[in-house]
Amino acid sequence: MERIVIIGGGGAGAALAHDLVMRGFSVTLIEKGNLFSGTTGRHHGLLHSGARYAVNDPSAARECIEENRILRKIVPGALEQNGGLFVAVDDKDMAYAPLFAEGCAACGIPIRKISPGDALSCEVNLVKSLRFAYIVPDAVMDAWRLPLHFAATARLNGAVISEFTETVGIDVHAGSVNGVRLFDRFRHKEYVLPGDIVVNAAGAWAGRVASLAGLVVPLRPAPGVMVSINARLTNMVINRLHGASEGDIVVPQRRLSILGTTLRLADDPDDTEVRAEDVKKIVEQCAEMIPAIKTQSVHAAWSAARPLIDDPKASNAQAISRTFDCFDHEGDGVNGLITLIGGKATTLRAMAEKTADLICRKTGRDVHCTTREIVLSDYRNTFRREAP
Amino acid sequence: MPERAIIVRVMRYKPGIIDPPRFENHEIVIDEERTVLDCLETIRTNLDTSILFRHSCHHASCGTCAMIINGVERLACITKIGYIEGNVIALEPLRGFPPAGDLVRNMNGFFNYYPEPYNYIRHSEMLPPAAPLLEIKEFLRFENCIECGACVSACPVTDKKGDFMGPASLAAIGRELEKSPERSDELIALAGGERGERLCERALRCSKVCPMGVYPAMHIENLRKKRINA
Ligand SMILES: Cc1cc2nc3c(=O)[nH]c(=O)nc-3n(C[C@H](O)[C@H](O)[C@H](O)COP(=O)(O)OP(=O)(O)OC[C@H]3O[C@@H](n4cnc5c(N)ncnc54)[C@H](O)[C@@H]3O)c2cc1C
Ligand code: SF4
Ligand code: FES
Repeated sequence: MERIVIIGGGGAGAALAHDLVMRGFSVTLIEKGNLFSGTTGRHHGLLHSGARYAVNDPSAARECIEENRILRKIVPGALEQNGGLFVAVDDKDMAYAPLFAEGCAACGIPIRKISPGDALSCEVNLVKSLRFAYIVPDAVMDAWRLPLHFAATARLNGAVISEFTETVGIDVHAGSVNGVRLFDRFRHKEYVLPGDIVVNAAGAWAGRVASLAGLVVPLRPAPGVMVSINARLTNMVINRLHGASEGDIVVPQRRLSILGTTLRLADDPDDTEVRAEDVKKIVEQCAEMIPAIKTQSVHAAWSAARPLIDDPKASNAQAISRTFDCFDHEGDGVNGLITLIGGKATTLRAMAEKTADLICRKTGRDVHCTTREIVLSDYRNTFRREAP
Repeated sequence: MPERAIIVRVMRYKPGIIDPPRFENHEIVIDEERTVLDCLETIRTNLDTSILFRHSCHHASCGTCAMIINGVERLACITKIGYIEGNVIALEPLRGFPPAGDLVRNMNGFFNYYPEPYNYIRHSEMLPPAAPLLEIKEFLRFENCIECGACVSACPVTDKKGDFMGPASLAAIGRELEKSPERSDELIALAGGERGERLCERALRCSKVCPMGVYPAMHIENLRKKRINA
């Protein structure tokens, strides 16, 4: 079977490695740092129900609810399945409610309106002046261990995973990819890895990787700041009932609460500046939903870059869709190179399925995707259990 | 927040190239609110791209960034510069694991003695005062242990000889025993084996360095009592 090289050990790359080995391909996953040291791992850890996108970005919303249901079955060990609330705090939120309910219904996201009394009886730290809330099927993922289950399963099924290995070149001859040039960062040595198909799954860095083959992809790094506080104040994920905006989500996890986020567009994927004013803004906005946040000190503040598909038609950054796409560069004169970008950590499996389907079409293989059903192996199997 | 000029001393190691390991110094100026992990990222982006370290979540949830910071095992991602005394930060990889490169250790053996299966999900202790919602039967959360290896590194026994399964595995066995008492024979036997809790010298350093309040030493003591009383 064809040899596939995947560049980028983020959630998308790990899920793709799993999908492709299950279909019988020979797979190598290349990551310049450790697995999930890019954007995956640093995000909030929200397993989206899709409700956040139901009004403005219905295609992303549908992808989220479908994948939400699948991941609950195939990786339950990486999920705190406690649900989520969208809370209406003021008149503006109240006015948004009908639009929200309609959007969720249209995308097939089950929601239920609950009284302020019911909401406060499960979540005592919500603001007392709460008007009402919707309960939605959000959940919390371990942002590192969820994708690690995909890597573990892929490895057990024969995928090779090379960490601390940077792709420094893509070899193209007569319009076709032959392989990649890699730099082993442990041994400080360059070498060539042959491959029939190369997938650029480098997330916010995909523009740089595409440029190794002289190509331009429509990628826009969009960094966001997140803040964690050293107290778990809710059981469920708490979202503000309004159109996707900043400082409107609190994701509890273990004994922490993770508050997010901000959005700006950048040129450099390594631009992860955390400005004190962003931290302050996030804390203040989230405290409108959960006032006790203000009494806690900041435990960590960090930033990560979304790999957005640039859309010149979008009026502002929030209007850029969170959907994903894979681009076959055959039309750009580089046969065998595919770029996979966009999406969410929630939709990693779907991103992999779409890309693996494309690879099957390109190689004339008629093998179906099985990743919707296969329960993933324990993430600890990513680390070889060595004979004592 | 004020900025501070600091000297970051990183223990460098590349098999066959920087070998034996040696400290290399970098001077940077950084906001006191930022962390040791931010220092490393700043050095890697601006000064030396060849430096190797592990990181993922940046908020004490994944466990990848544990290292020895000025002599003590800590998570780089939540160690703020403001907490560091003086203007030197010395960084070394964890002890008790085979070296890989710079601050990276080979973690392959870490889970060798974990119980199989070992469920990472547990009941939440934060139960709602009133009846839970229809949609949610009970509230759950992840285990506190983020499998960072700090306790293994700090343990004087794992450091001396390689045959002790170490505090993290014993804490996992202890947690699994609390959650699945029906497995007690199997779990007490696993902890009581040749490489198990009998090798612990009660230095208690594991509980001291654990960033997540798992208290491995308490689990070890419990498992020991259970074996003796069994
Ligand atoms: C602030 C913020 C909050 C978010 N919150 C959520 C959330 O709550 N829920 C959710 O579902 N999604 C969330 N997301 C989105 C989600 O995190 C990303 O969409 C997803 O993680 C992207 O995964 P990826 O695999 O495409 O990219 P990455 O995880 O970035 O993977 C790409 C990898 O490629 C590697 N790489 C780059 N160049 C090279 C090279 N030359 N050679 C080898 N390797 C290379 C990088 O090191 C990196 O590890 C959030 C994103 C942001 C920014
Ligand atoms: S018990 Fe604590 S120190 Fe040991 S691995 Fe778990 S979190 Fe780290
Ligand atoms: S980076 Fe995840 S624990 Fe520090």
